[in-house]
Formats: sequence, structure tokens, C-alpha cells
Amino acid sequence: MAKVTIELPSMLSSVLGGVRRFEARGDTWPAALEDAFEKLPGLRVHVYDESGALRRHVLCFVNDVNTRFEDGPGPRLEDGDRITIMQAVSGG
Amino acid sequence: MSTTLIVGTEKGAFLCRSKDRAKWTVEGPLFKGWKVTASARAPSGRYLVATTSYVYGAAIHASKDLREWEQIEQGPAYPKAEGNAPVIPGVAVGPGFEPKMNQLWTLVTAGKRVYAGADTAGLFTSDDDGDSWKPVPALNDHETRPNWFPGAGGLCLHSILVHGNRIWIGISAVGVWRSDDGGKTWAPKNQGVRHIIEDEKFKEIGFCVHGLAADPKSPDTIYRQDHAGFYISRNGGESWEAAEEGLPEGSVGMPGNKKRASFGFPVAADPHTQSLFIFPLESDEYRIPIEGKFRVYRSRDGGKKWEGLGEGLPAGPTYSSVLRGAMAVDGQKPCGVYVGTTSGQVFASADAGDTWRGLPCTLPRILHVAAYADK
Repeated sequence: MAKVTIELPSMLSSVLGGVRRFEARGDTWPAALEDAFEKLPGLRVHVYDESGALRRHVLCFVNDVNTRFEDGPGPRLEDGDRITIMQAVSGG
Repeated sequence: MSTTLIVGTEKGAFLCRSKDRAKWTVEGPLFKGWKVTASARAPSGRYLVATTSYVYGAAIHASKDLREWEQIEQGPAYPKAEGNAPVIPGVAVGPGFEPKMNQLWTLVTAGKRVYAGADTAGLFTSDDDGDSWKPVPALNDHETRPNWFPGAGGLCLHSILVHGNRIWIGISAVGVWRSDDGGKTWAPKNQGVRHIIEDEKFKEIGFCVHGLAADPKSPDTIYRQDHAGFYISRNGGESWEAAEEGLPEGSVGMPGNKKRASFGFPVAADPHTQSLFIFPLESDEYRIPIEGKFRVYRSRDGGKKWEGLGEGLPAGPTYSSVLRGAMAVDGQKPCGVYVGTTSGQVFASADAGDTWRGLPCTLPRILHVAAYADK
């Protein structure tokens, strides 16, 4: 399985023990997130909604690719990939 | 005696502390950027605080000292609804309805149990000091639920009273419900209260309770700030009667409203006397202080008569309000009373409402105020 870095925004980090970056493993971004939830259990409720989908205003990037625009779990992850969780900041 | 206020706002929580209820310090923000919507002390004495964000959802955090916080991993959550369609944006009811945990409106500790009231409307309980939670299906899955309709503040269970095995809860635009068996069965308790939205199928729903308070001496006496006015029940909610003498007159607003300005949200009861505190607003149509006069109203006799309190409150035109969760009493003698405003001010009274002072802060819109007194 690929070894990737999970990056969190400061608002999430502030309620999850100050963790900004940590390592997770998985061949796809959903698999890597499942591993991330094992390591940081409080994270799941903030990223996924009750149906198991990404929350409406949460974005998940694999490197520079927005997973919302991908069909399915996207390309196979490689060692060193970066998964970034962020909120959709869409104007004022 | 030291007093600590947890003030929850749209952008975090603030701690206001005082040793004499005269001089106050303000610390924070905690949970910067998060809406802080409720707090309580768990049976062990530790603090629980509820947060939410339209992006990241709702959670509960625990702390023994108000400094180090840890998120509860198994917070209140609705069971995953298999086969249901997602909620349609802006329409929280009807076919495909799936309860979502948008926000916790209230946390209440009674004995060894902690209760949480949620949006979308639901009741949850914890028997392990807030570490894990389970839904109350007899209420959350009630046969009338598909016809529960959200009010202006959402479809929210915001008020919980507990006396032994008897539990009362309030859901906006639905009504008051009571359980006499610790939550196994529920019955609506709204007789005597004016309907707001009459449901075609279930006549027992469509009442818009805004807040509940328990009488400290008589467990059958319940106070109800409702959309349709202020009410008292002296028989545990079986029937309700209006109690509005002394409330100011205001614009009637919507057709069917009363002339007295009995619309409002918060209600708090001094646990040692018959004193009640509310914040009347000018009708459901306007929802602002009457003629710009920022007044807490007090009844010293369990709702028989009301008087406006203004000494130390803003003297000039003031059109900010006090939201449902933003009024608290501290249980001391005399009773401390606290209100937080939609423009971020906190006002405190150390003499049961006779005089008030503003705390040295201007915060974001205030959603929640809780007062904790310690020796």
C-alpha cells in the first residue's frame, strides 16, 4: 500500500489534538482516509456525512486533483502522495 | 464563590470569570471559528461543549479544567439510514428524509445521565459521562416524524427537562412531548396552546415551543416560552394557560397574534425562588426589542405577573436580541442572571435582575450562555 501524507486545515487540527500532518496508508484516497480515521478517530465525523459521502463543503485533494471531479476512487496512490482536506471557501 | 460563564458564539467560546460577580475577566476564544452551541457539566463534573460548523459538522468536546479539551469520538449520531435519499437542500422533511446531525442545541445532565437535543430534531442520551451516546428511537422515529416541519431556526430539539423518569422535550414547530418512563414512550403535551402550523394528518403536532423551564419546587409546574405566547402548566404539561400579565404591548404582527409582546425565545428559572426571566420581542414578524428598549422581564411569582428590568442595561435604542440559548442563571443566592446578545454583548446581574452590568467584551453573535458556580 502507498504511504501518503494527510494534511488537515487548522480548524480541524485545533479540535484534533493539534495534528496538521500525519502518515496514512492506502491504494486509493478513500482507503487512505479509512486508515487516517483509524489513526485519528475524531476526524471521520468532520469529513464524511451520515451517508458516508464527503460533506458538502469539504474538499479532498490528491496532490493537486480535486476528488470531487473524479469518477470513483480515482487513480492509484503512490508513495509520497499528499491528501489534503480543506473547506470549500467560496466567496463572501 | 467563583462564577464562570461559558459564552458560545458563532466563532468560538469565551470564558468569563468572576470571584464576586462584579469584576469579570474574559478569556478566549476556545474552538476558534466553530459555532459553540451548548455546554453542560457531566456527572463527573467535567465540562462538555458542543460545537458545529456548516463545513465540518457537529461534535462534543470534554475538559476537566476548561483548558485542555478532547473531542468525544462517539458523539451523538443518527443511525445510517439505508436506502434513503439525501436531504434535499432547504427541505428537511418529506419523502427521502434522512436525519442529519447538524447541531446540538442543548446538553442537560440529570443524575448520571446526560441528554443532548439535536437539529435535525432528535434526543440522545449518554450513561458514561458523555463518552458515548445513543439515540432515543421512540421519539426520534415517532410515527409523526415525517410530518415534523422545520421552523425558522431549523427542525431542532432545543429544550429538555428531567424529573426522575419523567422527561419533557421541546421541538420548534412540533411541540412539547413528555415521557413518563424514561424515554420508552412519548406523548405530545400541547393542550391549550395555539397551533402555529396545523398538520393535516396529525393534529397533535404543529406547536412551536421555543423554551422550557421547570419550577424548582413543584415538579408538575412547567414554564413554556412559545411562539404563541408565554404559558404555564401546573399538571406536568397536560394543559397550558397563558401567563402574560405585565408584559409590554407590541405590534400584533401576523394575523392571529396577541397584542401583548409575548413572543420570545429564552426562559430561565431561579432554582431557589419563584423568579422567572424572559426576553420578550416584538412579534414573530419583527423579532426585535419593543421600540428598541432592551429589557429582561422578570416574574417573582411563577409567572403571575411580569415586570421589565432595565437598570444597567442599554439605555439608548437597542435592536439586538437574546437568542434561545443565551440566557442563564447561576443558582447562587441571590440569583445571578446572564444574557448574551446577538451583537456580542454580555450583561450580568448579581441581584436577580434588579441591576445589570455589561462585561468588558464585544463578541461575535452569542448563541449560548451557561453559568457555573464553584466554591
